[in-house]
Amino acid sequence: MSLPPSPTVFVVDDDAAIRKAVSRLLRSAGIAVTVFESPREFLAQYDPNTPGCLVLDLAMPGFNGLQLQTVLGERGSILPIIFLSGHGDVSKSVQAMKGGAFDFLTKPVNAKNLLPAIRAAIERGAVARREQAELSEIRARLDTLTPREREVLEHVATGKLNKQVAGDLGITEATVKMHRARVIAKMKVQSVAELARLTERCGIRGTNSLKSAA
Amino acid sequence: MSWITVFWSINLGACLTLAAFYCAVWCKQRQTWAHLLFSCSAVAAAAISAFELGMMNAQTVEQYQTLVRWVHVPTWVLTVSFVAFVRLYLRAGRRWLAWSIYGLRTLVLALNFIFPVSINFRAITDIRHFSCAGEIVSVPVGIPNPWGLLSQVSLLLLLIFSVDATISVWRRGDRRRALLVGGSMIFGAILAWHVPLVIWGVIEVPFFLGFTYTAVVAAMGYELSSDMARGARLAHELELSDKRLSLAADSADLGLWEWDLSKDEIWVSPTRRAQLGFPVSGKITFEDLISRWHPDDRDKVRQALRDAIKNGKDYDAEFRRVLSDGSVGWVAARGRVQVNKQGNPIRLLGVSMDITGRKLAALEAARQRHDLAHLARVSALGELSSSLAHELTHPITAILSNAQAAQRFLDADEVDLNEVREILNDIVTEDQRAGEVIHRLRGLLKKGEPQTHCDDVDLNEVIGDVLKLMRSDLINQNVTVDTNLAQNLPTVAGDRVQLQQVLLNLMLNACEALSNHNSSERQLLIASKSENGEVRVSVADRGGGIPEGKREQVFDRFFTTKKEGMGLGLSICRTIINAHKGEIWATNNSDRGATFHFSLPIVRSDALSTVPSEVLDGSVLTTTEVSVTRVTAPSVLLGSAATGSEAEELWVSASTALLERKQ
Repeated sequence: MSLPPSPTVFVVDDDAAIRKAVSRLLRSAGIAVTVFESPREFLAQYDPNTPGCLVLDLAMPGFNGLQLQTVLGERGSILPIIFLSGHGDVSKSVQAMKGGAFDFLTKPVNAKNLLPAIRAAIERGAVARREQAELSEIRARLDTLTPREREVLEHVATGKLNKQVAGDLGITEATVKMHRARVIAKMKVQSVAELARLTERCGIRGTNSLKSAA
Repeated sequence: MSWITVFWSINLGACLTLAAFYCAVWCKQRQTWAHLLFSCSAVAAAAISAFELGMMNAQTVEQYQTLVRWVHVPTWVLTVSFVAFVRLYLRAGRRWLAWSIYGLRTLVLALNFIFPVSINFRAITDIRHFSCAGEIVSVPVGIPNPWGLLSQVSLLLLLIFSVDATISVWRRGDRRRALLVGGSMIFGAILAWHVPLVIWGVIEVPFFLGFTYTAVVAAMGYELSSDMARGARLAHELELSDKRLSLAADSADLGLWEWDLSKDEIWVSPTRRAQLGFPVSGKITFEDLISRWHPDDRDKVRQALRDAIKNGKDYDAEFRRVLSDGSVGWVAARGRVQVNKQGNPIRLLGVSMDITGRKLAALEAARQRHDLAHLARVSALGELSSSLAHELTHPITAILSNAQAAQRFLDADEVDLNEVREILNDIVTEDQRAGEVIHRLRGLLKKGEPQTHCDDVDLNEVIGDVLKLMRSDLINQNVTVDTNLAQNLPTVAGDRVQLQQVLLNLMLNACEALSNHNSSERQLLIASKSENGEVRVSVADRGGGIPEGKREQVFDRFFTTKKEGMGLGLSICRTIINAHKGEIWATNNSDRGATFHFSLPIVRSDALSTVPSEVLDGSVLTTTEVSVTRVTAPSVLLGSAATGSEAEELWVSASTALLERKQ
């Protein structure tokens, strides 16, 4: 896995003067920035592997900021979004925050508010990205398990004893032990407790969820 | 002194006196040639009387011969001038008869001087003296000249001519003249027959040819006196009529005037003269008069007068005048050019009327209309206020970020001056942009004065202005606007702000009509085109359209289909468009939605001397407009460049069809 690119702030605003001014401000703070005239342009060029955050104008002709937020959400993007709005429009800001916006700032925006918000968003983005990386690693490991091993994992992760697991699955306890050892090895963990934590992070709670997670 | 001398002298004197009168009349009225002819004939009659006196007192045959020969000169003058006089004065007598008399009489005169003695006598052998009326008078004894018959023929023709002329005058209905003038000339022509009788020795009397004309002289004296009486009566009537006219004029506050173009002298009725501060008498020139008018209106009036004089049209103008007390009043003046026989203008007659009251009322009405239109405008802008604030936010945001970026650049160890310079330039640009937003707004918000002149307005610019004004609102409401504007659109004369108001109203209404539709259907098309001497602007929406039968009503005051509308927006639009001599109407589109059109005549502002008259006439509106309710909606695109969808194609193709459908 290559090194991730340095964090970049994506500014999407239909007003050229604002794009230029905001990007200048960010450059003055040593932050890399890329500007886009419209959400469509952004979607066409955005590389999800690039870390950073999105500074998004709320009201734009045609495809607007809220719509972009929805599209990114559908694509599972974890890019933090800071909305910039000309109006103190309550309903739109609520909609944005519900959609998972990182922050909602009104224009004209002061550097004292914008820069810290951007830094915080980048930080949050980095954390999220790390978590996502870990999660995908865990999922990758999970994918190496055989179906029987997954069944065993699910039962073991809920804290059941080998004997109980053997009873539930209708197999011998020795077989359960063998599967458990393989699962621990494949999942690269030291103990059953650690295994339980990992499965929890993946959201594996029971039989059904495990199946869906698979 | 004997009676003979007295009578002949009186006759002579009477003829000369009347000749002098008529000559004097002719001197004053040169076109009355009949008067001069009468003078000539009367002088000739006087001369004949003088000759006759001389003949009566002639002592020798030679003396008598000379006088008989030379008396033909005044006789010729008398005959010729009398016949001409009858034809001119009575407008009667046959032309061929007149010319026959002229010819014959001239022939007689010529022969008279060819024969040794005269045309009357081959020889005068002796002079006989006899007593008559207490005086010894001389009569000739001689051999008559047979050529004298020509003279008698001319006398006969004269008699026929007189009778004929008299009959035609009588038939014409002018019986007094027929009796007086005609009768006296027939009498004279008959009396003249004593001459041949004396010559032939039938009767023995002195010649009294001079008296044959006495009756005519008396008749003409009577004519003169009755003319004088009539003149006096006319003068009296004229004075009365003048007084009546003055009274009527003063009561109606009318001023009468007459401008003699050749002398540049203006007569103004006395009351108006006093009002204008002119002395009771004395010459008023055109420049004197125009100095009483408002300086701003002088050129306009001059032009109108020049036009009237040049083209012979009636003159009609309204202008302001400054009275002697310094107050300004409005005047409507009408005049008519009088021309001479050659068709050249000689004077302008006219009447002027004080219309200050009407004008003030109209101005007040215009002011109310103006105030109302302003209120409506402010109200419409009120609906846009948050969007307009947003328009200002853009440049201010850019300025703040730029300024803060600059501060940070300046804090760095190495300052990039080029970067800072560029930032400052951008700040200036953005500041100007904010200024333009404010300027546009201020234009619409300020009330100002009712305009007294028109601008040349490019309606495409008006459309651009309104689109800029509504940009944020359209984005907010998710309304897409496509434009289909004609290139090189001719300008119209009008008030830019009012025309912006009309378009703003139509667009706000159109947005309102779209508010219940899906955002994908919220489309407006604004089109402009020029045809048949007018510019047409159309605003088409894809809303619900106008219920059939209400297409006219939508422009009525207080007609509204909206819950919170007052029904004034479109009525104000109509008032404004009508004031610009244009038309506004609505049509339903063939598929869906409605189109509002307005058309304005292509006129240059300098071709209009004043504001559209309705502005002054003031179709007064009485309440303010509070119409469209805004619906907050998500954003969308503005302008054709951004659409790129099939909708755009649909609209562009539909636009032409829509615009063809003026109804």
